[in-house]
Amino acid sequence: MNTKFKTLFVIIAVSLLTACGSSNTPSGNAGAVTLTLAGYSTPAEAYAKIIPLFTAYWKAQKNQDVTFETSYAGSGAQSRAVIGGLDADVVALSLEGDVTNIAKADLIKRDWQAIAPNKGIVSTSIVAFAVRKGNPKNIHDWADLAQPGLEVLTPDPKTSGGAQWNILALYGAALRGKVTGVPANDETAATNFLVSVLKNVTALDKDARSSITNFETGNGDVAITYENEVLLGQQRGQDYEVIIPSSTIKIQTPVAVVDVVSDKHGTTEVADAFVKFLFTKDAQQIFAEYGYRSEDPDVAAATAGQFPAVTDLFTIDDVFGGWKEAKTKYFSDTGIYVQAISEAQK
Amino acid sequence: MTTTTPSLAIKDTPHRAPWGRWGIKSAAFTYLIVLLLIPLSVIFQDGLKDGLVNLWGSISLPIAWAALRLTLWTSALMAVINAVMGTLTAYVLVRYSFPGKSFLNAIVDLPLAIPTLVTGVMLVVLYGPQSIIGGWFKDQLGWQIIFAPPGIILALLFVNFPFVVRAVQPVLESLDRESEEAAATLGAGSARIFWQVTLPALWSSIASGALLSFARAIGEFGAIVIVAGNIPFRSQTAAIYVFGEVESSNRQGASAMSIVMLSLAFVLVLFVDWLRKRGRKERTA
Repeated sequence: MNTKFKTLFVIIAVSLLTACGSSNTPSGNAGAVTLTLAGYSTPAEAYAKIIPLFTAYWKAQKNQDVTFETSYAGSGAQSRAVIGGLDADVVALSLEGDVTNIAKADLIKRDWQAIAPNKGIVSTSIVAFAVRKGNPKNIHDWADLAQPGLEVLTPDPKTSGGAQWNILALYGAALRGKVTGVPANDETAATNFLVSVLKNVTALDKDARSSITNFETGNGDVAITYENEVLLGQQRGQDYEVIIPSSTIKIQTPVAVVDVVSDKHGTTEVADAFVKFLFTKDAQQIFAEYGYRSEDPDVAAATAGQFPAVTDLFTIDDVFGGWKEAKTKYFSDTGIYVQAISEAQK
Repeated sequence: MTTTTPSLAIKDTPHRAPWGRWGIKSAAFTYLIVLLLIPLSVIFQDGLKDGLVNLWGSISLPIAWAALRLTLWTSALMAVINAVMGTLTAYVLVRYSFPGKSFLNAIVDLPLAIPTLVTGVMLVVLYGPQSIIGGWFKDQLGWQIIFAPPGIILALLFVNFPFVVRAVQPVLESLDRESEEAAATLGAGSARIFWQVTLPALWSSIASGALLSFARAIGEFGAIVIVAGNIPFRSQTAAIYVFGEVESSNRQGASAMSIVMLSLAFVLVLFVDWLRKRGRKERTA
C-alpha cells in the first residue's frame, strides 16, 4: 500500500517536472533564451513594436531565438519588484533613482550609465499641458496655471515619477525667470508660485496614466503631464490639445541591464545587445512614433515637425544638480513640495 | 496513512475524540498563525523597529495626522448613516412583503463582490463635476462631491452597505413577536412599539454591524484613491497616505500609520465581539 502510493507520487511528480521543463524550452531549440523586461507603464506600446525587430535582428546575427517576457507598472513599483526578486534582465524606468535603488540593492554591479549609449537615457520627452479642445481657458504658459478657479490635474509626487518631473519643470521654469511675475533665482517666489498652482489642483492621482485618464473622463481644465502621453492620447482619438510651455524640463528615462540577474540566467550578452539596440535609428524611430523626442540627431531631425521646439529646455542636472539632490530638497518629508502642498491647503 | 479514517460524527468514541479535536485545533491555529499572525507581526516589527518615539514622530507629521483625522471622521459619519439606514433596510426586508423583495435582498451583498476600484470609477462618472448630478450640485449649491469628503463618505457607504443590514436581519427575524403584539394590545402605537420594544432588542446587532463597517472603512483603498482626489490636508485618507509612503520607499512611515489603523480596528473588533456576546445573553435571558 505504502510503496504503491510512493511510486504513484514519484510518477506524478516526475511527469509534472518534465511538463514544466519542456514548456520552458519551446520547440526544443536548445539555444533559445528568454529575456524578462520590466518597464514603467507608458512605453509599453513602443516596446511591443521594438521587440519583434530585435528578435529578428538577433536571429540574423547569432541564429538564436529570443523570447521576451514583459511586465509594465509604475516605475517605483517595478523597481521595488526587481529588488524583491522579480527576475528582470532589463529594466526601463521613468526615474534614474529607481535604477539607482536596484544598484544599491547589489543587483546591478556594473556602471550601467557607462555601458549603455547616451548614459542609459533611452527615451526623452518634456513636461507639457493637456487642455480641452479649443483651449477655452486660454492656457499658454506656466503663469496661466495660477489663475484663480482653474482646475489642474497632476499625479501625486509621492507615488508617481511623472509627478516629480512636473513639479520640477514648474519650479525650474520659475527659477529661470521664465514665469511672468516670478523673479529669477528667487526660491521664495518660486515656492509661492508653486503654492498658487497647487491651490488649483483638484486631484493628485496615483500615477501619470490615472491622471490623464481622469482628465479624459472630463475632470479638470488642464493636466500637467508628459508630452508623449498627450500625443498618444491624440493618436487614440482623444480631442484634447497639447500646450508646450516656453520653459520646461527634459524628461529622461533610463534603461539598464540588471546584470546580477542576467548573469544568473546566462543572458547578459543578449541583454546588453537589446539595450544597445534600443539606441539604433530603427528603435528610436519607433519611440518617436509613440511621442518620444529622440536623442538621435538624425531621427530628431526627421521628426522635428512632430515636436515643436522648446524656447528654454533644461535638464535636471542644469537646474537641480541631479536627481539625488532634487529628491531630498523637494520630495523628502520636509522638502519644498511637502511644504508647498501644506501651505496650499491652509 | 494506515488507520486514521476520518470520522463523520463530531461526537466520537471517547478514546479517539482528543486526537480529532487536537487535529482540528492545530490545523486552525496553524492557519491563523501563518495567514494572520505572522504578516501582522511583520507590520508591527517594521513600524516599531526604530522605537515608539519614531512611530509617534511619523504619525504626528501634519500630513499624516490630517489623513488620520479625515479617515476617522468620514468613517464615523459613514458608520452612523449606515447604522440608521441599514437598520431601516433590514426592517423593511424582514417585516414587509412586496414584489421584488428577494431580488433586493440579493442586491444587498453585491458591494462585497465588486472590485472597489470599479466602485470609485462608477461614482466619479455619476457624481463627478462634469456629470449631470455632480454639475448640478456644484452650480446650484456650490457643493463639490467628488474629489472632496462627501465623495469619500459615498464610496464608504457603498462598499460597506451590507454590514448593518446583515447584522440586524437575522436578529429581527428571530425576534419574538409576542412582546410587540402584547404592546399593541395594551394600546401602544406602531412608532412607540418600534422605539420601545423592537429597537432595544436590536441595539447590540446595530452597533456591531456599524462598528465592523467602521473598522473596514479605516482601511478602504480602491474606491477612495479614485474618488477622493488624494490632496493632503483636504482629501487624502490614511490608507492613501500609507500607499504614498510605500511608493516613496518610506516603509517605516507606512508601517507606523498601519499600526495605528490596525490597533484601532483591533480594539473595535474586540468591542464588537463583546457586544455580540452581550446581545446573545440578553436574547437568551
